[in-house]
Amino acid sequence: MRWSEVISRVDRRVIYSLLTIFVILPFFYRIKIPQNIMPQTEKLFKFIDSIPSCNKAVLLSIDYTPQTMPECHPMAIALLKHCFKRKIPVLGLSFDPQAPGLAVEAFGSVVNEFNSTAKDNADSVIYGRDYVYLGWKSGRVATLIEMGEKIIGVFPEDYFGNRTDTLPLLTRVVNYKNIAIAIILAAGDYPQEWILYAQTRYGVKIGAGLTAVMAPKYYPFLQTGQFSGMMSGMKGAAEYENLLVKYGYAQDTGKAETAMNSQTLVHLLIIFLIILGNIGYTFSRRKSAAENNKSNNPRRSYEF
Amino acid sequence: MNSDPWVWLGALLTLMVFSFLYKDNPFYKFAEHLFVGVANGYYIVFYWHQALKPNLFDPLSKGEFLYLIPLFLGLLYFTKFIPKISYLVRIPIGFMIGWGAGVSIPANFQGFIFRQLEGTVIRPEGFANILEGLWAVLILIGVISTVLYFFFSREHKGVLNFFSKTGIIFIMIGFGASFGYTVMARVSLLIGRIQFLFGTWLGLIM
Repeated sequence: MRWSEVISRVDRRVIYSLLTIFVILPFFYRIKIPQNIMPQTEKLFKFIDSIPSCNKAVLLSIDYTPQTMPECHPMAIALLKHCFKRKIPVLGLSFDPQAPGLAVEAFGSVVNEFNSTAKDNADSVIYGRDYVYLGWKSGRVATLIEMGEKIIGVFPEDYFGNRTDTLPLLTRVVNYKNIAIAIILAAGDYPQEWILYAQTRYGVKIGAGLTAVMAPKYYPFLQTGQFSGMMSGMKGAAEYENLLVKYGYAQDTGKAETAMNSQTLVHLLIIFLIILGNIGYTFSRRKSAAENNKSNNPRRSYEF
Repeated sequence: MNSDPWVWLGALLTLMVFSFLYKDNPFYKFAEHLFVGVANGYYIVFYWHQALKPNLFDPLSKGEFLYLIPLFLGLLYFTKFIPKISYLVRIPIGFMIGWGAGVSIPANFQGFIFRQLEGTVIRPEGFANILEGLWAVLILIGVISTVLYFFFSREHKGVLNFFSKTGIIFIMIGFGASFGYTVMARVSLLIGRIQFLFGTWLGLIM
């Protein structure tokens, strides 16, 4: 086999092994690759940073699934940390059937972290006062429209079975008028419906934390101003974690930032493999073209 | 190393799925079938407890008989399996299409078409920042040339050919961006699993 064929036909198992090695390396050798912060992430961060404390709530629609957890879960954690640090109440809900367990886990881990260092009641993050998780609801179009009138009308009970009219937060947050921004963390086309039914009807500000696959589709909504900010994939989550550290809301970055080092190395590997494959393809094509010419030559000479 | 049996189960199933990267094998098949079964079971139980029971059967059991109407409409979907009365399935479908179209058509025009068209309009104030102004021009050229690429009522010659060729460039850039983001997404999933295997399971990384 020629060298050009060897490099254009690398066994997939070799590629998978290289990918795995490149992913693992940064975790052991603490390689630190600097990341730039994209404007859409900064815009979302600054929007939340500008919400007056204890005034309007942030609505977090947690709609990602276990398979997209590495991308969206760090976003949820970072957003919750930011809101709780700034004493902004958070209202959570889900439209994806796989999401409630992950939402409860995200709220639980951040609340535990805050309460473990809290000095008094005012410093703690308390369910019903500072945050509520409403749970999952079927018929999301109808739900989105109805929430514009009365949230407790659509969610008479929260995820844990509490009557929502007994929760202090929901006596303050009646409908979208009391929501500063709805942020949709999604692995599906949920933000689209928020734009259609919550924003066009009620003028709700919308932000998004999306998987990287979905991000290109949603860039036009940033340009038109329909999105007040967006996090795209693991990189978006890492950027938000960095912003939390930069503005003093967190001591250290989270899982996404660590993972971005692996991400960058793997991207370099993939670029290298693409170049290698193309070089191999070009040379093997040239070689086979030259061989074809050789084999065609006798016929040509005959024609002459 | 983690002592939680559920973490061990998750780790072993992850390894079983990854074994497919070498070649198809019974461990992978087992994990795949288990996933399909568990996913179906999860959805059935979830929809029963979160949708059917609280939204239909609980109110009915409390004597709210108005809920018989959606129950009846829902049951009509099953008439599809009885050839003699299968035409009745049109009633709930008609209801859903009528409601869906009524709600979504105006919203789609407002939310997508008008706002996106607005986004391509170049305004003088957009040039306050020269770079933003240039981006606005680029977006306008991109939108027009891409739309013209899909204009098939006339042969692509002359000016139309120029614009459709320009449109291809914009489409290719779009595909490239999508590919790049897709690679990032898939690598993220691998990183997530590696973090689970080496961190949560083996405890070798933080």
